[in-house]
Amino acid sequence: MRPYFEEMPRLGKALKKGQIKRTEENLGQFKEAEKAVEAEVQRIKDAGFPTEKINKRGQMTVWQRLEYLVDPGTWSPLHTLYNPAENEEGTTNVIDGLGKIAGRWAVVIGFDNKVMAGAWLPGQSENILRVTDLAKRLNIPLVWLVNCSGAKLPEQEKFYANRRGAGTPFYRHAELEQAGVPIIAGIYGTNPAGGGYQGVSPTVLFAHKDANIAVGGTGIVSGMAPQGGFNVDMAEDLIEKVKSFKAKPPGRVETHFHETGFFRQVFDDEKGVLDAIKESMKGMPAYDPKFFRVAEPKPPEYEGEDLYRLLPLNPKMVYEFEEILARLVDRGQHMEFRPDYGPEVYTGLCKVDGFLVACIGNRQGYLGKGYPEYADYPGIGGKLYRQGLIKMNEFVTLCGRDRIPIIWFQDTSGIDVGDAAERAELLGLGQGLIYSIQSTNLPMMLVLLRKGSAAAHYLMGGPTANRNNAFTLGTAASEIYVMHGETAAVATYSRRLVKEKEAGRDLEPVIESMNRLAQEYHEKSRPIFCAKTGMVDEIVPLDALRGYLVGFAGAAYQNPISICPHHHMILPRIIKG
Amino acid sequence: MAEEVRAPLAGKIVSINAEVGGAVEEDEDILVIEAMKMETPIYAPCDGKIKEIRVKKGDEVEEDDILAIIDEA
Repeated sequence: MRPYFEEMPRLGKALKKGQIKRTEENLGQFKEAEKAVEAEVQRIKDAGFPTEKINKRGQMTVWQRLEYLVDPGTWSPLHTLYNPAENEEGTTNVIDGLGKIAGRWAVVIGFDNKVMAGAWLPGQSENILRVTDLAKRLNIPLVWLVNCSGAKLPEQEKFYANRRGAGTPFYRHAELEQAGVPIIAGIYGTNPAGGGYQGVSPTVLFAHKDANIAVGGTGIVSGMAPQGGFNVDMAEDLIEKVKSFKAKPPGRVETHFHETGFFRQVFDDEKGVLDAIKESMKGMPAYDPKFFRVAEPKPPEYEGEDLYRLLPLNPKMVYEFEEILARLVDRGQHMEFRPDYGPEVYTGLCKVDGFLVACIGNRQGYLGKGYPEYADYPGIGGKLYRQGLIKMNEFVTLCGRDRIPIIWFQDTSGIDVGDAAERAELLGLGQGLIYSIQSTNLPMMLVLLRKGSAAAHYLMGGPTANRNNAFTLGTAASEIYVMHGETAAVATYSRRLVKEKEAGRDLEPVIESMNRLAQEYHEKSRPIFCAKTGMVDEIVPLDALRGYLVGFAGAAYQNPISICPHHHMILPRIIKG
Repeated sequence: MAEEVRAPLAGKIVSINAEVGGAVEEDEDILVIEAMKMETPIYAPCDGKIKEIRVKKGDEVEEDDILAIIDEA
């Protein structure tokens, strides 16, 4: 299929002088907005003890372990700001992302040993489940850096039990293993109780000489037999017990290497554990990338820095989606599917790092006379109409048939509404797209360029497509809400306004409520809020987006669960005609 | 040669970023039309000097209306 993919038509054009001049302000504002996100990320990195203090104890921090473990230039962090339970520590206490280890992609996660020695915190199991889901979706190894002191006991009721509680990840580990996805663990420090299961549940365990994993640790030695309260004698007895356990914690290397053999290998220094993980990764199932590449990997034709000029921070300002795409895919080359139909969405085949990917994105701006064809009002990009929905249904279905991973780009205000839209079957076509996505069993990722709103946010491969959506990235311009805050205020208070008016009462209190609701919507749709609550998996600088696309494509093709020979693909033939 | 700048869609002029006699470069935005809650910038089709601006902020325009004329450099 070389003639199809080696050289494809090009998208985009170089920036012109006038364009550079007029976009200077947008560039500055975008970078300023990214700085605010970066400041939050830095706060997470600085959480807990300083690095020097951990190093003085002879330990590396989780960040240092990751830096040593992951191949340079491949780390794509996820969930850095995720903190759905609003922990005072500012974090769920696990650090994760996608990265290459010894040349192979893996999902990597580690406890932050600077914060309460890697304790379980509220929201952490949700974070871990996102990570296990990601490994399952991409069918690539999960690498754990275990260093878990157990539960933060004063808040156990928030995370210990329940359907998606702290024990659920251990079932997920079993699920991954049963699906043939290996879990490789490097184990450090003291890992009692839940920490013990964090240590024992992976597939292969490499331990540091001072590591231990145990059913219970020193913290629960007296709690096993409650006696109705505490007194001084009991306290003295407890002190003695703790001292003796501290000297000899349960589940040490001498037990779990020499006696049970749970630990595959033990290493005297921390880096030895990480080297063992690297060595192990070399043997993980992975196709040679050449097997699936359709062309030599090439960078985009134009600089990623251009994106700061091309994507307006002002959510009302229109732009050309193809110019964005041109700066993200190899050489800006593509084959567009049905360019003369459904103008509000782009659908096409592109290459990322030489791998074939499908891209779908909202176009912006006026869609031209006579569109949508079923209505007497003009269509505007960002919204979805009948043709766009039909086109996406067709494209997604064909991608499923041809086993081509999909990258979605959203900037959508929703789906057309009203009687004409209902007659045009948009409701059924929207659910049809959900059905099409679910039918593919393909890995997908989403870049939320700006707006994710109304049903369109979940129809277009959003995180709610959780069987398919590997991860969702936001930008400093992203915002997510069911509808704009002012629209929500009208929907909520318009009848009340009528009542107040008819009763001859003052409208000001209602207007105040409307403004308050609109403001709350604004605050609860900002990028940092979206990242903290998990509506996006990471806020990414525009010039780093390409790296995530490379990671996604490389991981999706590393060991796919099913394949379509290039010369059996139908979609490129349909496009060619 | 004079180049006409026409409205690609009907809407309201919400800002004018150029003035008569001023120099513009190709692809510089000279005004913005708001329609259906979105702002569409109108770019200079060529390098040149603004000869005429036929609209003012707040005007409603129809598709294809002439908005400005540029003397091409």
